[in-house]
Amino acid sequence: MKKLITVGLILGLTGCSLFSSKVQAENIDITGTVQSRCIINTDTVGAYGNPNAYTLNTTAADGGQKPIVRVDVSLANSYYAQVSYPTSFSSSPSLGDTVAWTGAVTAVQTSSSDMSGYQAASTVAGSMRQYALTVAGTTWFDISSAATYGGGQQKPFPGGSYKAVVLAECIAQ
Amino acid sequence: MYRSIILSVLLCSNVLAHEMTPTYPKWKVSYIEGVESTTMEMFNRRSDVEWYEIGIFDEEWKPVPFVTSYKILNLKYLSHVKFKVYINSSYVDEAEYICSTSKLRGDSMMVSSKICSRFK
Repeated sequence: MKKLITVGLILGLTGCSLFSSKVQAENIDITGTVQSRCIINTDTVGAYGNPNAYTLNTTAADGGQKPIVRVDVSLANSYYAQVSYPTSFSSSPSLGDTVAWTGAVTAVQTSSSDMSGYQAASTVAGSMRQYALTVAGTTWFDISSAATYGGGQQKPFPGGSYKAVVLAECIAQ
Repeated sequence: MYRSIILSVLLCSNVLAHEMTPTYPKWKVSYIEGVESTTMEMFNRRSDVEWYEIGIFDEEWKPVPFVTSYKILNLKYLSHVKFKVYINSSYVDEAEYICSTSKLRGDSMMVSSKICSRFK
């Protein structure tokens, strides 16, 4: 009888210890920090259309695609967004003549109506447009870009692959 | 309701994102005399970018000398990295911004992203 009680106690204690170790194993912490931050997202990668021999353009009507950049900020008045359209090719065939560049940056959508004044309040310096992000939330920017070859004489672009870069910056205020 | 819908759309969409924290880092005295350090953290959600260049600049965007393990960081897609930056104490007052800039490779029209935190 004593042996039975002893065996029962041992089994009981072992079971308890197994149970408690199982409970401990389930108590795994997940930690996180919410802090001021800016995230730059490329929602749409752009592409140039080639409507005629001497023009490359991102507009849909010309067969191109405007890049769309999304900027998320989690704290008001902590960042400037600066977006620049390209003014040169980062890679292209050898070009013997001048390329005329035009472009525009537009805040096309915002996550809050409080941000609706961003475009009007933005400032321009050359190809770069700066926005003061005064409200926490998301802003979508689209960038249009066009390149014309030949210095006004409508010369055809040499055949090959052309690449240009849009610069999206988040600068802490 | 509107914001939660936007958030869920963002979470479900295939985004290419670049993130660096903190926004306002502070210099701390390091274990080397005359050298101060700060720790930054980056997260790469850009599948099209694996390399980021680190730079420190003054108020007029002129480069300020600093030391870090790798000035061009290899950061795989969906990876976090914490990195320490060291600066001579004599440059602490000059240093205004610390920036990470994506290094691009590819054939299509690309978006280069740059995030700058500020020493206040």
